[in-house]
Amino acid sequence: MATNAPLAGRRVVVSASGVAAAYAGRLLRVLGAETILIEPPGGTALRREPPFLGRSGVSALFACMAAGARSFVCDLETERGRVGADALLGTSDIFIDDTPPAERERRGIDQAGIAGRHRHLVHVSVLPFGAAGPKAGWKAEEINLLHASGEGNLLPNGLSHELFPGRPPVKIYGNFASLQGGIAAALGGLAALWDHAAVGGQFVDIATQDAAVAVGAFAVQRFGDGSVEHRATRSFRYGGVLPCADGHVEVLTLEDHQWKALVELMERPAWALDPVLDDPLERSRRGADINARVRDWTRSRRVADLVARGQTLGVPIAKYNSPAEILADPHEQARGLFAPVAIDGVGSLAMLIAPFHFGGQPLALDRGPPALGEYQERMPPVRAAPVLAAGV
Amino acid sequence: MGRPLAGVRIADFTVHAAGPFCTHMLSQLGAECIKIESAQRPDIFRKPHPVYGRMGPASFDQVASNKLSIRINLKHPKGTALARRLVAVSDIAAESFRPGVLARLGLGYESLRAAKADIILLSVSSSGQSGPDSHFSGYAPLFGAWGGLGTLTGFADGPPVEMRHVMDHTVGLNAALAAVAALHRRRATGEGQHVDVAAREVAASLIGEALLLAAAGGTPSRMGNDHPRMAPHGAYPAKGEDRWITIAVGSDAEWRALAQAIGAPQLARDPRFATEAGRHEHRAELDRIVARWTATLPGDAAMAVLQAAGVPAHVSWTAGDIVADPHLRARRAIVDVDEPDGRRRAAVGVPIRLSKGEAIGIARGTPSLGEHEDYVFGELLGLTRAERRELEDDGVIH
Repeated sequence: MATNAPLAGRRVVVSASGVAAAYAGRLLRVLGAETILIEPPGGTALRREPPFLGRSGVSALFACMAAGARSFVCDLETERGRVGADALLGTSDIFIDDTPPAERERRGIDQAGIAGRHRHLVHVSVLPFGAAGPKAGWKAEEINLLHASGEGNLLPNGLSHELFPGRPPVKIYGNFASLQGGIAAALGGLAALWDHAAVGGQFVDIATQDAAVAVGAFAVQRFGDGSVEHRATRSFRYGGVLPCADGHVEVLTLEDHQWKALVELMERPAWALDPVLDDPLERSRRGADINARVRDWTRSRRVADLVARGQTLGVPIAKYNSPAEILADPHEQARGLFAPVAIDGVGSLAMLIAPFHFGGQPLALDRGPPALGEYQERMPPVRAAPVLAAGV
Repeated sequence: MGRPLAGVRIADFTVHAAGPFCTHMLSQLGAECIKIESAQRPDIFRKPHPVYGRMGPASFDQVASNKLSIRINLKHPKGTALARRLVAVSDIAAESFRPGVLARLGLGYESLRAAKADIILLSVSSSGQSGPDSHFSGYAPLFGAWGGLGTLTGFADGPPVEMRHVMDHTVGLNAALAAVAALHRRRATGEGQHVDVAAREVAASLIGEALLLAAAGGTPSRMGNDHPRMAPHGAYPAKGEDRWITIAVGSDAEWRALAQAIGAPQLARDPRFATEAGRHEHRAELDRIVARWTATLPGDAAMAVLQAAGVPAHVSWTAGDIVADPHLRARRAIVDVDEPDGRRRAAVGVPIRLSKGEAIGIARGTPSLGEHEDYVFGELLGLTRAERRELEDDGVIH
């Protein structure tokens, strides 16, 4: 691990069949903790989740979520497996688990059982709707959670909604809501660990819905202020997604000087110099007209030219990057956002490490996803204690 | 037993959304968060501004809740000296200026270290503290564009989609995690750190598998509501104006349960839909079938039927639905906050429930500008009334 990694020396055990719990482990791993994924004999379901890397059969999602982790197979349906898990948990700081509540006691990883046997342990439960509350047993996938949090209903906005006003709401790509659950789980685990000297281990209850609701905070606040956001109207009146000759850019001018910079970028067209447009509210009222003109202007321009000159002038403007463009971006390369990791059956690929630097340096990612059970040999042989083996 | 971050103090120079959301989350976990503004340069979100075509309250109340407020004019040399005194009694200094601004103010990391050797400086910015684009300015929609999340979101035959404040707040949540991690390192080593959170990299971190696919030569692209494996999977019309229900069928068992629940058990025997691959291949047909059923029922009724059958389903909720939800209320994911002016409003809590210690969450509403100067300047920094008056006369506390 990198010397700047803040969690060096910590050990985290993760039991994850979904993205949220797995991502919590991934975050703590890249922050320096040793992370051990405990998997059933066939491996976690995440290993079988598309998209796959070419024809390798390797899940890109699993590779990202489990990079850097160890894999330890233990079948929690058996006494031997439960004893093996307990051996690991006895030497760990945090346990992250997304097992459905109804199956936890049988597998020996219910709240009371863990608290009784591992009083030191921070036990982080990660479930779609949490471990407590009227919906604790409900099932949900990513798209359900995105809409249960409100953000799903609010997309698309801007240009996409103008083009397709009659279509259903569209989800955010990938696993946005689930990843919020993962970030919250990592934060909750570390906050509980910070307080460990005072309270010992404890149970941390994370609901992905809660986390996704939290990041949608402003829709809640504005509701309290008397306005209900809707995807048809939740867009700034001008700017937004602008089509160019070779892609799209995003422009958002919240402040007067930024609007003036945009006018400069457009080489001061006569319509934009109308003094009435000095008033930001008036600009908003005339937003549709302004945007039609701005789009007409951008449509024949190249993205790179607009972004370079716009940012120099002080226009908040960005290119809508494809994944390949992000990988090749000189800025991201200079910051070391990606590291080469070895992936069995695929080879070495650039993988995103983490979105933060510590001490002026990126963190390290020294391994790809683990082969199933590769950690088995490192553990001492696990034998069920007689009393437990008897089924007590 | 107190709240987990009780005893941690944050000198909070952040503005707008991402940085303030970070410190707001930390304050809900128990940190004492002192927000620094001035009358000349209040947080831009403190004042009304044009929101979607109307002049209205911004989004300040949520992220300012729980914080203490003081005024310091950072353009004044005595102001930066006063800020350093505050940092000297803090654990974390948080800021979200453009890279370089803090140093130009005389408050760069080395300067803060001179004031407090083990200070953690948390910097939240658009593109990070280093790299050729570090000077770029940006907001949430730009982060989503740079980081690819906006690029990949949208209909397959349409343009990218603008990410909104959820993008800011995701940056804030990541920053809160990084800050607590840095606290752990300080406890272990005695050393502070400069923590650098780049918003565009947070956006990129949310499409990790797409970036890996691209690294392997693939070309991930917008796919609307499709899922690479599941079908049916999407947002379907419910009875009523602009009401929708989302359904995701992730296994053969859920497919059979869905067929039964919608009163079409014969579908479970249809060979086209017998396997996951078959359902995915025929997803357009399945979407039509499911939509015909969902359109006949209020979303809540369809959701109840499907959840009872073990099929993942949820109504597409608006803010009104969320604020009224008993489950979110029971978990304190949604709470009511009483403002000093007597208003009561709904707010989001911290998305964490702990089994031990004092209840975490929002303890008080939005502070007025400079509301807590008696405590901060008086009790904490030991300034006398006369010293404070002089600083006010000089325009330092202003």
